[in-house]
Amino acid sequence: MATVASSKSITVTVNGTTYEREVPARKLLIHFLRDDLDLTGSHIGCDTGNCGACSVIVDGTLVKSCMMLAVQADGATIETVEGLAEDGELNELQRSFNEHHALQCGYCTPGMLMSATALLRANPSPSEQEIRKALQGNICRCTGYWNIIEAVKAVAK
Amino acid sequence: MLLREVEYVKPSSVAEAIELLVENEGARALAGGQTLINVMKARAASPDALVDLNGLEELKGIDLAPDGTLTIGAMTTYSEIVASAEAKARPILGEVCAQIADVQVRNRGTIGGNICSNDPTNHLPPLVTAVGARMTILGRDGERVVSAEEFFLGVYMTAVGPGELLTRVTIPAGKGDGFAAVTLGVDGTCIANAAASIQDGSLRVALGCVDAVPVLLRPESADADAVREAVRAAGLEPPSDVHASSEYRRHLAEVLAVRAAAQAAERAGG
Amino acid sequence: MSVETASEARASAVAPERVEAPLKGWAGQSVPRKEDKRLVQGEGLFVDDIKRHGMGYLHFVRSPYAHAHITRIDVSAAEAIPGVYGTLTGEEVAALTDPFFQISSPPGAHVKDYALAVGKVRYVGEPVVAVVAETRELARDASELVEVEYEPLPPVVDARRALDEDAPVLHEEAGSNLMWTGVYEWGDVEQAFAEADRIVTIKELHFHRFNSTPLECDAALVEYNRGVGQWTIYTNNQFPGFAAIMMGPALRVGLDKLRFVTQDIGGGFGNKITSHPQLVVCCLLARKLNRPIQWTEWRTDFHMSMSHGNERWFHDTEVAVKEDGTLLGFRTKALDDAGAWLRYEPLGGVIWAQVTPGMYRWRNIRLEFTQVATNKAPVSPNRGYSRMQHLWFTERVIDIVAHELGLDPVEVRKRNYIRAEEMPYETPNGCVYDSGDYARMLDLALELVGYDRIEERRAEAASRGKLLGVGIGSTLDSGTNNFGQSRLINPELQFSGNNEVATVKLDIFGEIVVTLGTTPQGQGHETTAAQVVADILGCSVDDVHVRAGHDSYWNSHAGFSGTYASQFAVTGLSAVKGATEMLAAEIKKLGSVILGAPEEALELADGTVRVKDNPEAALPFMACGAIINANNAGLPEDLDVTLNCRYVYRPPFQPPDVERKYGNLTLTYAAQVHVAVIEVDPETGYYEIVDYAAVDDCGVRINPQIVEGQVMGATAQAIGAAMHEAFEYDEEGNLLTPNFYDYHVPHALDMPPLATGAIESPSPFTPLGTKGMGEGGGAGIHAICAAVQDALRGHGDAIVWDSHNPYRRVWEMLQHPERTRELVEVKAA
Repeated sequence: MATVASSKSITVTVNGTTYEREVPARKLLIHFLRDDLDLTGSHIGCDTGNCGACSVIVDGTLVKSCMMLAVQADGATIETVEGLAEDGELNELQRSFNEHHALQCGYCTPGMLMSATALLRANPSPSEQEIRKALQGNICRCTGYWNIIEAVKAVAK
Repeated sequence: MLLREVEYVKPSSVAEAIELLVENEGARALAGGQTLINVMKARAASPDALVDLNGLEELKGIDLAPDGTLTIGAMTTYSEIVASAEAKARPILGEVCAQIADVQVRNRGTIGGNICSNDPTNHLPPLVTAVGARMTILGRDGERVVSAEEFFLGVYMTAVGPGELLTRVTIPAGKGDGFAAVTLGVDGTCIANAAASIQDGSLRVALGCVDAVPVLLRPESADADAVREAVRAAGLEPPSDVHASSEYRRHLAEVLAVRAAAQAAERAGG
Repeated sequence: MSVETASEARASAVAPERVEAPLKGWAGQSVPRKEDKRLVQGEGLFVDDIKRHGMGYLHFVRSPYAHAHITRIDVSAAEAIPGVYGTLTGEEVAALTDPFFQISSPPGAHVKDYALAVGKVRYVGEPVVAVVAETRELARDASELVEVEYEPLPPVVDARRALDEDAPVLHEEAGSNLMWTGVYEWGDVEQAFAEADRIVTIKELHFHRFNSTPLECDAALVEYNRGVGQWTIYTNNQFPGFAAIMMGPALRVGLDKLRFVTQDIGGGFGNKITSHPQLVVCCLLARKLNRPIQWTEWRTDFHMSMSHGNERWFHDTEVAVKEDGTLLGFRTKALDDAGAWLRYEPLGGVIWAQVTPGMYRWRNIRLEFTQVATNKAPVSPNRGYSRMQHLWFTERVIDIVAHELGLDPVEVRKRNYIRAEEMPYETPNGCVYDSGDYARMLDLALELVGYDRIEERRAEAASRGKLLGVGIGSTLDSGTNNFGQSRLINPELQFSGNNEVATVKLDIFGEIVVTLGTTPQGQGHETTAAQVVADILGCSVDDVHVRAGHDSYWNSHAGFSGTYASQFAVTGLSAVKGATEMLAAEIKKLGSVILGAPEEALELADGTVRVKDNPEAALPFMACGAIINANNAGLPEDLDVTLNCRYVYRPPFQPPDVERKYGNLTLTYAAQVHVAVIEVDPETGYYEIVDYAAVDDCGVRINPQIVEGQVMGATAQAIGAAMHEAFEYDEEGNLLTPNFYDYHVPHALDMPPLATGAIESPSPFTPLGTKGMGEGGGAGIHAICAAVQDALRGHGDAIVWDSHNPYRRVWEMLQHPERTRELVEVKAA
C-alpha cells in the first residue's frame, strides 16, 4: 500500500527543464513554482481560486496552480509564461498583447496568456464568445478585457 | 493560501484508496480539489491526510449503454463531460457543466466532487436529483446504490460515509430536461437555480440554493401555474445572505422552477 | 439588441479631432508600450518576486471582533516553535514608535493610530500581532498559537448611528465618533431657493463601499542596515512620498533613513497609498530580528483591512429648480464613513470640492460635510477618490429632478452644462475648469449607442418581456492636486501646491537615461515619457531608456512624488519635458563649442547635434556623452554642462482662501460622458448592459491607445461597482464579501460591447496641453444607476437611491417602488 507522508520527492519538467525537489504535501503548486523554482512569472491574485493569475498548463491541461498541490504534479510536464517566448523572441500572442495594449499593470497577464494559449491550441479559430468564455477564469482589473479579447482575436486563424 | 500541515498519498487503485481512507482516520479523498483545496487554504477544513483520487482510471469515463443509460465515473471532469459524445445523449449534462466556474476549474473539477461537496450553490446536486440519477458508493464491504433523494443529507454532507467513495453516477435515458439559474455575473456562482426533468410524463423539479439539500418537487404539470403552486406548497425558507434575502430567493426559486420546467417540457415534447 | 463587438463599435466611433499640439512627432502616436516586453514574459519584478538570504515571512494575527478590548496577549507558544524568528505586539509598537501624524483638525486630530492595535481592536481583520518565521506556512501556523483574549464591545457599523447618544465610541480620545465636520457654502443659497419655481427634496442617497481590488495585494520586503540605521523598503506602495512623511516621524527617523524601491506594481488605483502601518511593522521587525522581512498580503487580508473606498450618505438634499429645468443650486448634508482609522482621511472631506458643481452651472451650493468613525476597515483613496461620490450625487440629483419634473435628462444636462465658450470657467468655489465641451461629448456618446433609435429598441425589448433603460453619467476627473486644499480641513497644515521631478542624462556611450519620481502601476510611464523625450531630443523612442520603477535614492524624488490622483500627464511629463529641454540646451552648448557654430544655428536630429544648414557638421550623442563624462580635458572652463539634468515641475498654484474655502484645488479637469443601455428581466431583477459608450476628453493625448486603455479600465471598474462589487457588513461588523468568492469582480463574459470616443480640448494651463485622466470620474456608476431608473419608469417609478444595484435591489425596487418613492418630494416654491 502506498505510504502516507507529509512530504514527497517529486520530479517535474517545467518549460523543458527537469527539476527534482522534496516538497511538503501542503505546498501549493504555485508556491512551488514561485518560491522553490524561482519561476515568479505566474502570480497570485486571490486566495479562493477565482483570479487565474496562477494559470499554468500541466500535461497539456490549463489549471490554476493555486488549486493543486505540488506533490500532485509529480511526473508532470508544466508550461508557464516563462516558456512562451522562443529564443528571447516574443511569440505571436505576446506580440499581439503588446500591439493591442492588452495589459496595463501586467500582473494578470501571465495567467491570461496561458489561458489564451490553451484556447488557441484546442481551437485555433475561436469566435469572440469562445474567447470570452475561455478567459472567464482570469480576472483583470486594469483593462476591462476588451483589448485582451482583441489581442487574442488577432492571432486566431 | 498556506494550508495547515497535511499528509498525502496517491493510491494506485480504488480498493487501495478505500483501504487508505479506512486506515487513516481523519483522511479525506481529494478529487479535483477545486473546492477542498480552497477550503483548506482558508483553514476552514484541515484533514490529516489527503488520499488523491486523481489518476485512478477506474473512476473515470463515460459509458453510454444501448438503453440510453449513462454511467459517469466520479472522477470525470466537467470538461470531459462537456466534450463527451456519449454525454450528449443527455444534453443538459454538458450544458450545465459548461456553466460551472471557468475553464481551469472545469478541467480539474469532477462530477463526483461537485455532488459530494454538496455546497447548496453547486449546479449538479439539483440536476442529478431532477434527472433521477443513482449514485454508487463503494466501501470496504462492497457497493451500494442510492437515489439522489437518499444521497444528499445536509450542507457538505452526503450518504458517502467514512471509508467510502462515490464511484459513479448513473443517469437514466431521457431528454426532457431543463435548467435555469440566476448567477453572480454571467455563468457565475448560483444565487438560485432549478433543474427539471420529465420522465414518462411525470415532472421532477429540484431547487438549489434554497435549502441544505436540493428540494425535489413533483408538480402536476410543467404548466407555469402548476409549477409555481408546487414551489409555494413546499413552504421554502431559504437562507438569507449577502447576495439574496430569503424572500428574493424564494421568489427566484419559483421563477426558475417555471423556466426550467418549461424548457424540460419543450424538450420532452420535441 | 445590438451585438456589435468592441472592435466594430470602436471602428464606428467618431475619429477624435486632433488639435494643434505643442509637440509633433512621437507625442500623439499610439506607440506600443515599452513595459510590455518584460511583462508578457513573466519577467516583471513585483515585490513578492524578490528574495533575500535569511528572510523571514511575516504573518499578521488579526482581530476576529469588530470592537473589543484586548485583555491579554501571549506569544510564547508561537515563539517556541522551531523556525519562528519572532513576534511584534501592539505594546512594543506603542513603546518604539509615535502615533501616526493625523491630518485632521480636532476631534479627529486626537486619534492615536499605531501600526498594530494597542489595547483595543476596532474592526474585524485589524492586525494585532505580527509573527515572523522561516516559511510562509510556518508563520501562519505560529499565528494560530498566539493567544489573544478579547473583551468584546458593541460595534457601530452604520454611519447613520455613529453619532447617536448611546453609540459605542471607537476613539475615546476624540470624545465621540465625530472625526471631522465642516460647512461649505458658496453663492447665495437662500436667494436661489427664493427664486426657484420648484424645490425637489431627496431624503437620502447612498454611495456604497467598494474599492478597485488591484490584482496584486500589498507587499513589502524590508531590510535594515544596522550600521547606518537605514531601511530599504521594497514595496508596492504607490505614494512613497506620503508613506515617508507618515513613517519617518512614527519611527523617529529622518526621511533619508527610509529608502523606497519599487519596480512593477500589480495595480494600485489609490488602494496602495496607505500601507504605511504595515510597512512600519516590517521596519520594526527587520530591526528587531536583524533579518529581511517579507510580507505578502493575501486577498482576504486585503478585503478585510485595506483601503475601502469612502462610503457616503447624502441626507436632506434640496434642489432649487426653475420650471424650464434650469438648476439654481442645492443644499445637502454629506455623511462620510471613514471606517476605523483616518489613514488618509479626512482629506475626502475636501477632495470632493474639486468638482463642487459637477459639470453644471449652478452657483449656489451648501454642503455640510461630516465624517464619522465606524467599526469597519479604514477607507483610503480609491480611483475617483471622493469626487466620484460627489459626482454620482450631482448626477443623481440631475436625473431625479428630470424624472420628477417630467423633463428629458438629456435636455436638462444640456441646459445646465457649463458651456464650451465659458471655459476656462471659475466654479462657485474658485476652481478653474480649464477647457472642455460637455454638450458635444454627450452628443457623441448618445450617437455611439444609437440614441435616436432608443424608443424603437425599448418597444422591441418590451415585446420580449424586457425593460430597456438608458442612462447617462457625466463626470470630471480633476487632476494635479493643489495640496493647499488640505488647509480647508486643517488650517494648521503646512502643505500647498504640488511637484514632480525627473532627471534626464546623456551617459558615457550616448545612452539617454530618464528617471521618474513616479510609481506607475500600469499607466505606461516608460512609454509616454520616452515619447516626450524623443520629440525634444530628435531621436527615436527606442533610444530613450526610462528606468523601470522608482527608487527614492535616485535623485528624482520630491515631496509629492508618486502615482496617484490623475497627474502624470501633467506633473510627470512636465518634469520630463523640463529636464529634457535642459539637456537639449546643454547638448547644444557643447555642440557649439565642438562644432564652432552658434547655438542658434544648431538643431538636435537623428541622435546628433548638428548645424541646421550643414547637417554634415554633426556631433553624435555618443560623442557628447563621451566628451563630458570621459574626455573633457581642454573644454572651456566656463562651460557649464553636465549632461545630467534634474527638473522639478511646480504647477502654478496659490494657497486657497481658508476662510471662504475658495481657490483652485486642481490644475486640470478631464471630462467623461458615459451612456449605458440596459435590459432588465422584471421577473428576477437580473439585468445586462446591452450597449455602452464612453467618451473622454483629457486634452492632448500623448499616447491615445494608453488613454483609451485607462478609459476602458475605469469603465470596467464602474460596471463592477454599479452591479456587483460591495464591501457589505453584517450587524456585528463581519465583512460578508471578504474575497473574490463573494465579491464578484466582472470577468470577460460580463463585459458589454463598448464604443469609445474622444475629443481633445487642450489644457491652457499645462506645458503639454495634457490633463490627468487615469481615475476616470466614475461616470459608469451613474450611467448604470440612471439606466436602471429609466428601465423602471412606468413600472412603479422607483427612485434609484443607491450606487450599488445588484439584481436583488432592482427586483426590490420593482416590488416595492413606494419604499424609494417616499424619498423624493417636489414642492412648489
